[in-house]
Amino acid sequence: MGLRMGKSETTSHHFGGWGDKAAARTAFSVSTICILIMGFILYFLVKESLPVLKATTLSELLFGMDWYPQETPPALGMFPLIASSLAVTFLSSAIGLPVSIVIAVFTAEIAPRRLRSLVKPLLELLGFLPSIVFGFLGMVVVAPWLQARFNLLTGLNMANASALLGMMMVPIVGSLADEALCAVPRELRDASYALGATRWETIRRVVLPSALPGVLSASLLGVMRATGETMVMLMAAGGAAVIPQSLFDPVRPLTSTIAAEMGETPVGSEHYHALFFAGLILLLITLAINLLSAKIEAKGLKTKGGNL
Amino acid sequence: MDKTESDLDLPQVRTQNLDLYYGADRVLRSLNFDIPRGCVAAFIGPSGCGKSSYLRCLNRMNDFISGARVEGRVLIDGEDIYASGVDVIALRRRVGMVFQKPNPFPMSIYENVAYGPRLFGVKDRETLDETVRSSLEGAALWNEVKDKLNTPGTGLSGGQQQRLCIARAIATEPEVLLMDEPTSALDPLSTSRIEELIRDLKSRFTVAIVTHNMQQAARISDYTAFFLLGELVEYGTTSQIFTVPVDKRTEDYITGRFG
Repeated sequence: MGLRMGKSETTSHHFGGWGDKAAARTAFSVSTICILIMGFILYFLVKESLPVLKATTLSELLFGMDWYPQETPPALGMFPLIASSLAVTFLSSAIGLPVSIVIAVFTAEIAPRRLRSLVKPLLELLGFLPSIVFGFLGMVVVAPWLQARFNLLTGLNMANASALLGMMMVPIVGSLADEALCAVPRELRDASYALGATRWETIRRVVLPSALPGVLSASLLGVMRATGETMVMLMAAGGAAVIPQSLFDPVRPLTSTIAAEMGETPVGSEHYHALFFAGLILLLITLAINLLSAKIEAKGLKTKGGNL
Repeated sequence: MDKTESDLDLPQVRTQNLDLYYGADRVLRSLNFDIPRGCVAAFIGPSGCGKSSYLRCLNRMNDFISGARVEGRVLIDGEDIYASGVDVIALRRRVGMVFQKPNPFPMSIYENVAYGPRLFGVKDRETLDETVRSSLEGAALWNEVKDKLNTPGTGLSGGQQQRLCIARAIATEPEVLLMDEPTSALDPLSTSRIEELIRDLKSRFTVAIVTHNMQQAARISDYTAFFLLGELVEYGTTSQIFTVPVDKRTEDYITGRFG
C-alpha cells in the first residue's frame, strides 16, 4: 500500500506529468495573451491612423511644415513635430548618456565599496521620481534660470527639456551600466593589471569594451525613455510646432502633441486620425532605434570578439 | 638596464624573510629561498598552503587585496620590489603572469597579444606584427591561428586560449614568468602541450609555477618547493625532493599520504 502511494506520487511529479503540462499550458496561454494584446494595440494604432491619408498625402504628413490641425481645412504637416522629437532625443542623449556612463564607471570601478552602497540606492531612488516632478522642476527652477541667464523670451525650450530628460536617464542608464561593468569577470581585470596596465587603462581597454553590450542596452533604454517621455515635454519644452533653429527654441515633440490635443479633438476627425498617425511614427522611431542598436551591438561583438 | 656578469650570476628571484598577512592572518611565514635564472621552479602543497599567495607576491598582485601586508624582502635581479618608490607597473612588465583559468580578453587574437606592447606605447604596425608573430610562435600557437588573427580569442579551445594567454604574457618580454596552476582547467592533451612549452620557455624566462599535480612538477621543473600552512617545508632540486626528501612531511605529501 505504502509502496503504491509512493509510486503514484512520483508519477504525478514525473517529467511530462500533469504538473509539467499545466505549467507549460499556463506559460503558453499567458504569453499568447500578451502577444495578442500587443497585436491589438498595433492593429488599432494602424486602423485609427490610416484614415488620415484620405485627407492628406503621406509626404504632406511626414514632410509638411505646417501643423494647424484646428483650421479648416486642417494643415497636418508633422515635420516640425518629428524634428522636435528627434532633436530632443538626440540632445538629451548627448547630455544624459555620458553622465550616466561616467557615474557607472565611478560606482562600479572607482568608488570604495561603502560609498558605492550609498550612491547606488540613491541613484535608483532617483529613478522612481515621477516625471511630473521633473517637469515641475523644469517649469519653476530651470526655465526662470535659463530665461534670466541667457536673456531669452522663454525658458521653456529644447535646452530645458533636454537637460531634464538627460537627468531622467541617469538613474536608469547609470545603474544598469553599473551592473554591466560589475559583471565583467575579475579574471579579465587581473590579466590586464598583470600586464602592467593602470586602473584607468584597464577600465578603458578591457572593462568598458567587455561590458559594451550591457552598456549599450542600458543606453538604449534611456534613449527610448527620452523619445517616449510626454509629461516633461508638455511642461518644459515650450510647445511651438516649428523646427528648432537654436538650443533655446521652444519645441513640440510628437508625444506632447498627442497628449495636449487628443482631449480637444472630435473622435473620428482628421485631426484625431492624424494624432494616431503621430503615435505610429513614434512607434516606428523607437523600433528604428532598437534595430540600429541591435546592429551596432552585433557588429561590436564581431570585431571585439566578445561573447560575454 | 645593463647587467654586469656578477648580476647574471645572482639568483634571479631571492626571497628573504618574507611574511604575508591578510589582515591579522599570517599567510606566509618567513620564507627564504632563491630561484636561479633560467630555471623552472615548481611550488607544490595542499590547497590553502600559501603557494598561490606567494606567487602573487612576486608581481605584487596582492596589492589589490585590502588588508594585505608584506614584511621581508623579495629581490628580483637584485632589486627589492617592496622598497618604497618601486614602480609597480614597471615591475609587472618584467614579471608576467598566466592564470589558472584561461582569461583571454574579449578581443581578437591579435589584439590580445598586442595588448601589453600597446600599453607601453608601441604603435608601429610592423613592430606590433612582429611581436605578435614571435610571441605566438613562442607559445606554440602561431601555426594554428596565423590565418585567423582577427577572430575572437575567446573562440579558441581551452588549451589554445591558455597558450594565447602565455603569448600575451611573453609579448611584453618579461624576465620572470609566473604560472598559477596553468593546466588545472585543461584536458590531458592540452596539458602536455603546455608542459612541453614550459620546458622551451625556460631558455628565455625564469618560470615560477604553482601546481597541484605532483607528476607535473616532477616532469617540468628544475627546483621544487613544498609549502605547508604558509611555511616553506623544503626546497631543493626536483630530483632530490622527489627521490630523497629530507623532511618527513615532504615525503608523506609526495607519496600521497595526505593532501
